[in-house]
Amino acid sequence: MSDLFAFDGALDAGYAQPAPLLSEEEARGGIPESMRRQSLPRWPRASEPELVRHYTWLSHRNFGIDTGFYPLGSCTMKHNPRVNEKIVQMAGMNDLHPLAPESHLQGLMAIFYEMQEMLSHCAGMDSVTLQPVAGAQGEFAAIRCIQEYHRSNGQGNRDKVIVPDSAHGTNPASAAMCGYQIIEIPSNENGRLDLDALRAVVGDDTAAMMVTNPSTLGIFEPEIAEAAEIVHSCGGQMYYDGANFNAILGKTSPGLMGFDAVHYNLHKTFSQPHGGGGPGSGPIGVKSHLAQFLPKPLVVRKEDEQGIDGWAYSWEDPVNSIGKVQQWHGNSGAVVRAWAFYRRYGRDLEKMSEHAVLNANYLRYRLLNPSAEKASKIPAMPIDGAPARVVKHEFTLSMTPVKDATGVSGKDVAKRLLDYGYMAPTLYFPMIVPECLMIEPTETESKEVLDKFAEDFLTILAEDPEIIKTAPHTTDVGRVDEVWAARNLVLRYPMD
Amino acid sequence: MVDHLPNLGREAIMLKEMGLSSIDELFSDIPQDVRRDTPLNLPAPQTEEEIIADANRLLGANVAINSRPNFLGAGLYENYVPSMVAAMATRGEFLTAYTPYQPEVSQGMLQALWEFQTMVSELVALPVSNVSMYDASTAAAEALNCAVRVHNKKATQKNVVYVIEWLPEHRLSVIENYSCGADVEIRTLKFDENGKVDLKSAESAHGCCAVYVEQPNPFGVIDENLVELKQIIGENTALVVGVNATSLGVLEAPGNWGADIVVAEGQPFGIGATAGGPIYGIYACTEKYLRQMPGRIVGKTFDDKGKDAFTLTLSTREQHIRRHKATSNICSNETLIALMGGIHMALLGPKGLQKLALRNAAACQVTMSGILAIEGVNLLFENGTAYNEFTVVLPGSAKSALDQLDRLGVTAGLALCDVMKGAEETWLHITATDQTTGEDVNAIVSGLKSWVSSLNEVES
Repeated sequence: MSDLFAFDGALDAGYAQPAPLLSEEEARGGIPESMRRQSLPRWPRASEPELVRHYTWLSHRNFGIDTGFYPLGSCTMKHNPRVNEKIVQMAGMNDLHPLAPESHLQGLMAIFYEMQEMLSHCAGMDSVTLQPVAGAQGEFAAIRCIQEYHRSNGQGNRDKVIVPDSAHGTNPASAAMCGYQIIEIPSNENGRLDLDALRAVVGDDTAAMMVTNPSTLGIFEPEIAEAAEIVHSCGGQMYYDGANFNAILGKTSPGLMGFDAVHYNLHKTFSQPHGGGGPGSGPIGVKSHLAQFLPKPLVVRKEDEQGIDGWAYSWEDPVNSIGKVQQWHGNSGAVVRAWAFYRRYGRDLEKMSEHAVLNANYLRYRLLNPSAEKASKIPAMPIDGAPARVVKHEFTLSMTPVKDATGVSGKDVAKRLLDYGYMAPTLYFPMIVPECLMIEPTETESKEVLDKFAEDFLTILAEDPEIIKTAPHTTDVGRVDEVWAARNLVLRYPMD
Repeated sequence: MVDHLPNLGREAIMLKEMGLSSIDELFSDIPQDVRRDTPLNLPAPQTEEEIIADANRLLGANVAINSRPNFLGAGLYENYVPSMVAAMATRGEFLTAYTPYQPEVSQGMLQALWEFQTMVSELVALPVSNVSMYDASTAAAEALNCAVRVHNKKATQKNVVYVIEWLPEHRLSVIENYSCGADVEIRTLKFDENGKVDLKSAESAHGCCAVYVEQPNPFGVIDENLVELKQIIGENTALVVGVNATSLGVLEAPGNWGADIVVAEGQPFGIGATAGGPIYGIYACTEKYLRQMPGRIVGKTFDDKGKDAFTLTLSTREQHIRRHKATSNICSNETLIALMGGIHMALLGPKGLQKLALRNAAACQVTMSGILAIEGVNLLFENGTAYNEFTVVLPGSAKSALDQLDRLGVTAGLALCDVMKGAEETWLHITATDQTTGEDVNAIVSGLKSWVSSLNEVES
């Protein structure tokens, strides 16, 4: 094991810096004595060559899309083009200050403007802000806009937000942070929106309904337009969780489905690398009646011969803006990466969605239709999480029959997949599918990878249950004791 | 022609295997009345080389802060990040991973984040750190919400928090938005005539849920009064301190003078100003706040054979388990940038941190003495000491000074009235960093001098 805190070099073993503009004594003299730090933090004392080995060693113990197939449902783990990383390292991106004069930021603002327009167009919205830095923050910002919209109409008493029981956990959490009471409605027996359940809860206290479509089961909601009508007829607003936007570009849009507000996940649909947990970027788009409440500022432009391609860009605050949800203008670097990704596809973003859906349906077919020879060795097969002729960009499997027949759980299979060199699918979500595995291959996986994954998955189902239940066996560490971690809470290196 | 779709041209084979004949059939479940009837009105796809050319042209039109003398900071700093930091953090295994939900194949990131938590803990002198918030403002906002959850039951001022009266909008507005759902009332803590928290008026905060202060404060003043604050507000009120992260190389760690929660903008450790994002917020606290805090936390544990291992822990606070009862809605955070910060901190080492802070402090003192030698330019708070930024009162509008210096190729700082309610037009906020050179100082001093004399010419 490489241990960062075992590096025990000289106190100044690390990075050498130029001398300060004053002597260290003079510089320290400017700090009031009562506030001077008495003892330095106990950080590692190591040189660059030692640390490069340490972090390289750590990287070898981490699985990314670059390592192998990453079918993590709902996360859209597609290939991250490397040119996008090169672009954000350019000085005209990496070394910009958001409070610099507009004249210093014209190129960035041109990209922002292009992204606002592109995202509006693709989602059928009228106005977009790029400020929210994660999907959850986009949800929060958009629900705040809806809240201010109702207040401005004298309907601040609307205090309930409706979410289906298949919703991402962020939906109810974000609405609750705005002070809303959450009404969860059950899905119908096919895992779809239940309009009767919706009708039973909407009313003049409904502020909004939050829906993911395709749903978290990877299924397009057939009655989405009617659901929107039910909510609108009571004066509520429709919010679109854009986590699954990758499935529908060029085919339909939240606007066409009747939504009033939407967030985009640039770290899913538009390939901002997820970096082991972030950064993300969660712009929101709204219909015109909500635009005046958007977080500030947005980029606007006017014709100017001296400007970039004949345009001069400036910041503009929506008239009744909710203010700010992030400190500056959002995760600009993520926006620029997403811009480079979008430029690679252009109008072929539709093709991107087609291939995401093609791959998901193909993999689902291969997983559920083993050869006769293979099938004869498998004690029990998983079943569809919800019945569907076709799915969109992802699908769910219930491992319940497998568990009933052999005692092997969804989690066991997920862990065994790690031994075969795959990232596990999303596990036990959505909660309405028992023993759920949620699988999203994305458009950047080849047929060969999908074939091999299906073959290996079916091979696992035919294995000795004991091998599966004790998996993984070949990873850097075996199955990790999460209960011990939560009980003992060793949250830092113990030095005392 | 798009080049990242490996199955392009093989659609028919795959469809046939499924018993389908066209891509359209895959979308037949979308009802006719919600379908697009026209294709996306977007340009044709570009090649990598065309994208690079456009990026060069557009981003090349920007003015980078390090391309000229720069004194604009105010929470986001021109800094130097050693080359090794991005080279390590952007290794594909880190860059292209999702949140480490499967610890068995994510030990590398988990260990690196646990090391990050340790270094943050040492930096601020508090035992607990999460793996990052979005930025300093959301970290401050969530800290106040967390403190309300912890203290409200016993608070004598229920649902009340105090924040310092002079906060820039990019902080205050975020705090206001994040607190709206919890019905929190935000009151203000007054400053005294030296630009420090007025300890007499701070007594009114006794018994509220939390007090938010900054060190150095938004004017750049090092506030020595803050060390008295915890005593005044009492045990059952959280002292939440926003710090400039690099300043802790010379300034005492807030955990050593009463802070219960420390938040900071982590950016100077790890990444450039990057137009305001992605950056990361530091969030550290005492154990008392652990179960109510937001964000991901890594813990050490063992695998099934007793081998050391790391995993995300205390997930029962989070939205994917607790849904609307979660302590926060945060899911994606700024992990990769925190990793960069951790690598940068490790490479600096304890002594390197101190040196970095002294470089900032020295640059600030040199800049300040140069500027204060200009007739008619004075510190906003005469008795204030500074770490790396300070505020002066100009004999005219700060914006006009900034415009003139901009024409001379100097980014001279920030007109505080642009970001702070109640700030005078004459207040100029100036930041110096480790990247400030003697020539930079000469440039801003001579530029401001000529601006002042141009004012005098107009008057005479």
